[in-house]
Amino acid sequence: MAETAVRRAPTVVTRVKKALAPLPWIGPAVLLIGVVVLWPVVVMVWSSFQRIRRTGIVVGSNGTDNYKKLFDEPDFVAVLWNTVVWVLVVVAITLVLSLFLAQLFNQHFPGRRFARWAMIVPWAASVFMTAVVFKWMLHETHGAINTLMVDLHLMDAGKDWLGRPSTAMPWMMAVAVFVSLPFTTYTLLAGLQTVPGEVYEAAKIDGASTWRTYLSITLPLLKPAILVAVVINLINVFNSFPIIWAMTNGGPGYETATTTVFMYQLKASDIGESAAMSVANFAMIIILVAFFLVVSRNKETDR
Amino acid sequence: MSTSTAAGRKPGTGAAKQPAAASGGGTSPGRGKSVLGGSKYSQKQLWFGALAWVIAIVFVLPYVEMAITALRPKDELTSDGYVPSKFEWANFVDVWDKSTLGDNLKVSLLVAGMSTLLVLVVSLPAAYYTARKRFRGRGVFLLLVLVTQMFQPTSLLVGLYREFYILDLLDSYWALVLVNGAFNLAFSVWILTAYFSAIPVELEEAAMIDGASRLGALRRVTLPLAMPGIVTAVIFTFIAAWNEFTVALVLVTTPDKQPLTVGINSFLGAYRVEWQYLFAGSVVAIVPVVILFAYIEKHVVSGLTAGSVK
Amino acid sequence: MKRHQMALAATGLSAALLLSACGGSDDKKDDGDKAAPGASGAAGAPKDGTIKLVVADYGSGDGSMQKYWNGVISSFNEKNPGIKVNLQVINWDDIDKQVATMIQNNDMPDLLQTGGYADKVVDDLLYPVDDVMSPATKADFVDSFTPAATVKGKQYGIPFTSSTRQLIYNTDLFTKAGITDPPKTWDELKAAATKLKAAGVATPFGLPLGKEEAQGEFMNWALGNGGGYQTNGKYTVNSAQNVEALNWVNDNLVKGGLTESNPGTKNRKDVYTDFYGGSVGMVNSNPTMIATLKKDYPNLKYATAPIPGKAGPLNETLGVCDWMMAFKKNGHKDQIKAFLDHAFSTDQQIKFQEQYSFPPVTKSVMAKMTTNPANAGLKPYIDLLPKAKFYPLNDVAWDVLSPKIKEQLGSAVSGKSPKDVLDQLQKEAEAAVAQQKS
Repeated sequence: MAETAVRRAPTVVTRVKKALAPLPWIGPAVLLIGVVVLWPVVVMVWSSFQRIRRTGIVVGSNGTDNYKKLFDEPDFVAVLWNTVVWVLVVVAITLVLSLFLAQLFNQHFPGRRFARWAMIVPWAASVFMTAVVFKWMLHETHGAINTLMVDLHLMDAGKDWLGRPSTAMPWMMAVAVFVSLPFTTYTLLAGLQTVPGEVYEAAKIDGASTWRTYLSITLPLLKPAILVAVVINLINVFNSFPIIWAMTNGGPGYETATTTVFMYQLKASDIGESAAMSVANFAMIIILVAFFLVVSRNKETDR
Repeated sequence: MSTSTAAGRKPGTGAAKQPAAASGGGTSPGRGKSVLGGSKYSQKQLWFGALAWVIAIVFVLPYVEMAITALRPKDELTSDGYVPSKFEWANFVDVWDKSTLGDNLKVSLLVAGMSTLLVLVVSLPAAYYTARKRFRGRGVFLLLVLVTQMFQPTSLLVGLYREFYILDLLDSYWALVLVNGAFNLAFSVWILTAYFSAIPVELEEAAMIDGASRLGALRRVTLPLAMPGIVTAVIFTFIAAWNEFTVALVLVTTPDKQPLTVGINSFLGAYRVEWQYLFAGSVVAIVPVVILFAYIEKHVVSGLTAGSVK
Repeated sequence: MKRHQMALAATGLSAALLLSACGGSDDKKDDGDKAAPGASGAAGAPKDGTIKLVVADYGSGDGSMQKYWNGVISSFNEKNPGIKVNLQVINWDDIDKQVATMIQNNDMPDLLQTGGYADKVVDDLLYPVDDVMSPATKADFVDSFTPAATVKGKQYGIPFTSSTRQLIYNTDLFTKAGITDPPKTWDELKAAATKLKAAGVATPFGLPLGKEEAQGEFMNWALGNGGGYQTNGKYTVNSAQNVEALNWVNDNLVKGGLTESNPGTKNRKDVYTDFYGGSVGMVNSNPTMIATLKKDYPNLKYATAPIPGKAGPLNETLGVCDWMMAFKKNGHKDQIKAFLDHAFSTDQQIKFQEQYSFPPVTKSVMAKMTTNPANAGLKPYIDLLPKAKFYPLNDVAWDVLSPKIKEQLGSAVSGKSPKDVLDQLQKEAEAAVAQQKS
């Protein structure tokens, strides 16, 4: 009896100890996330089920009416579609260009350090201001981009690129790619640093071509970095608000708005509905990221 | 980089340069040497260099236009020449007098610096532990971390305001440090976990056999090897905090306590925009980040070399 | 295993829930005075305490709004040293969302200066003006504001800034195009714009129907055709007159290429910038343009004229008013009254109106400003004020409708049919009315 008790006691203690062992290491992170991030998340989710007056006064529960109203918005589906295209196109182009840029800037060439500094500038600048300066450069009559294209005889007269959705969307996507490139390239560049040189030597001895070496050695070794870069880009591009807000305000109408911009616009007319849009946004980004992670994991097991 | 790395490098490693560069991998530890002796570039490398430089210039051009606009006299703001008839250097002086830019700059440096520090202090142990131990709840923890990255702070403003109202931290730097720290934690934890995972435990164990304490082994072996990851995390966090706008706009309302992003925004008035000051302020805001990057990039290189020597 | 994982996740979550639950009932800072802990703000307290003043910043980065209010506060404190005023200046573009966030969190201001007040009246948050202002100060306001400031017979809105609209035109460009007189009717406007275009003017008529101020630019046109947003207190956004006006603009000016490209996406600020740059022939202007032109673009030659209507110039133009309002929640009635009587005194008001080149809101300031020759450029705008037509500012549904108009109206000149756009907006208006009733 005594013996079993003695034997059992340490197991409980060790189990508790074992369960608590990670706390000193990860506790601060959990605390910071719990307090600073999850608290407002709870408020957001709660708000999405409340009837909130325009002043901000909370009247009471609104059931799922905020969601119903949101899904019934005549422009909702179009905005959703804009968002899907926006995220997929921007992330895909960013990744492809970054893979190329990372290789290029990893080459050994004169003044590489300064070139790398130059590459970080779009990342160092605020996204909002970058969008503002692009809007400035795209101005129909005095924008530098239009002036340059006219001077190069690419066009007869300046174009109002941002005035029509069909040209505004590609330009805004280009800006989104532009501001995402430095981070993505830099992440991939950091990934390249971890590839040991011996691997290439071995490939060289095997007589593999440069392209094959890249596909069969570099790319797989870069996978963790690519994974991080894509996930972060998916999230950032989905949540990207300043570019569209600065360049078109989502207009004309809501024709160039994504759901993030739409959420912000709704805040001016219905706070509860806006909170519902926020929750829906969150659900969408989770699905998007989860989908990507599952796909990338499946590929891994295929190999 | 050059001198210390070149000196610290063993003669043998230089041989690795040729194959690595030729195969396009180019992480060659030999680059320190070549910087010293400029003639060592191959034809191919010079072509790559030219291409890279063209791209680098494209990256900078919009900001050159920003600077040019900032230097335009008022009545030439909307003229279509590439450069104005004269540069109004006074714009860059006036912008400091016309606004609280100086204070805003200090706030931004403080907030971005403290946020970065907070992220490192919190994420380094968490990432190290997560990389080394398969503890219970590891998956949940990593998921929780990833999920935090997904929230758009713009959609959480009401809750953030309530939170800092209750904590009595409205209109204070600390609110911004906490928010920037928490919302940028995810990236650091993930990337550092990846880096720590890639470092073989045996290296640490070997150092401990050599007589180093666990902490000593961490400091001398693991951290230097993880340096590229740490540097990436530092830059990511610093820039994100530096450019954060929406939360600062809501939580801090006293003009001289606001960070640069919010301060500059006030040049966008209700009826007019003072473009030259708006852009002058924006150019000023880019400089500290590029300086930080230039400074820190040197360290990542030496960190790397230290790693490869070991 | 599962249980442990759940426990870990739950720790963070329950902490958050616990904290936010506390938040819901938290009233600890009801009085909003961190700086003066001794002051208890119960109603009827002596004239001590702290009041929180939240104002919009219309300015342009130079912090002049902050300086103006600091000046008001320090001169106020010379007379009333016991009342501390906590000032928050918020960018005009963000202030409404931010104030909603404050109210949602029960952190109410005592005084707020922004664009709309009606929603706050419906939610019973405001003092009537009579409670927080002495009769003499109240009587000094220009009479045309009173209807827009009154809800169900009680005045709640305190006019703070106002503006009217005039056609402004670049006289050099007019001369170049051989136009001698400003247009008085829509047809004349079209003819003048056509001449300007022939003379090579990039934007003959600036038409900012983008998000920033579409509701104002559209109202200029609606008024020109005898339309407007309301008829006898009911929304008639898609009235025949409004549809006709918008159709005319779209068919003649927009499709005729007489405006900037894609006016449905252009903001007022940007069109003004182009006017200052000399590439815009004419535009419906806000009085602040006069101050900017005088200060920064002295070489640009311009003149103003009444806005053309379909048959003749408008004699009732759009008037816009931004308001001051006083919140009941903290019970600082006496302190608010003391402050408002000071802030709306002639000395304080004239400083503001002259600095920002807004038409005055009080009769005494109006008398002073109109006799001052320095304000000659502003005078036509001031003269329009007594006859100005306002948005339905005293209707809470307007606060919901206005952002919708800003967002959607531009579509009417970007491919959608003006009638469809106005029909949709009428639906939004009716939904907003229904929602506010329930």
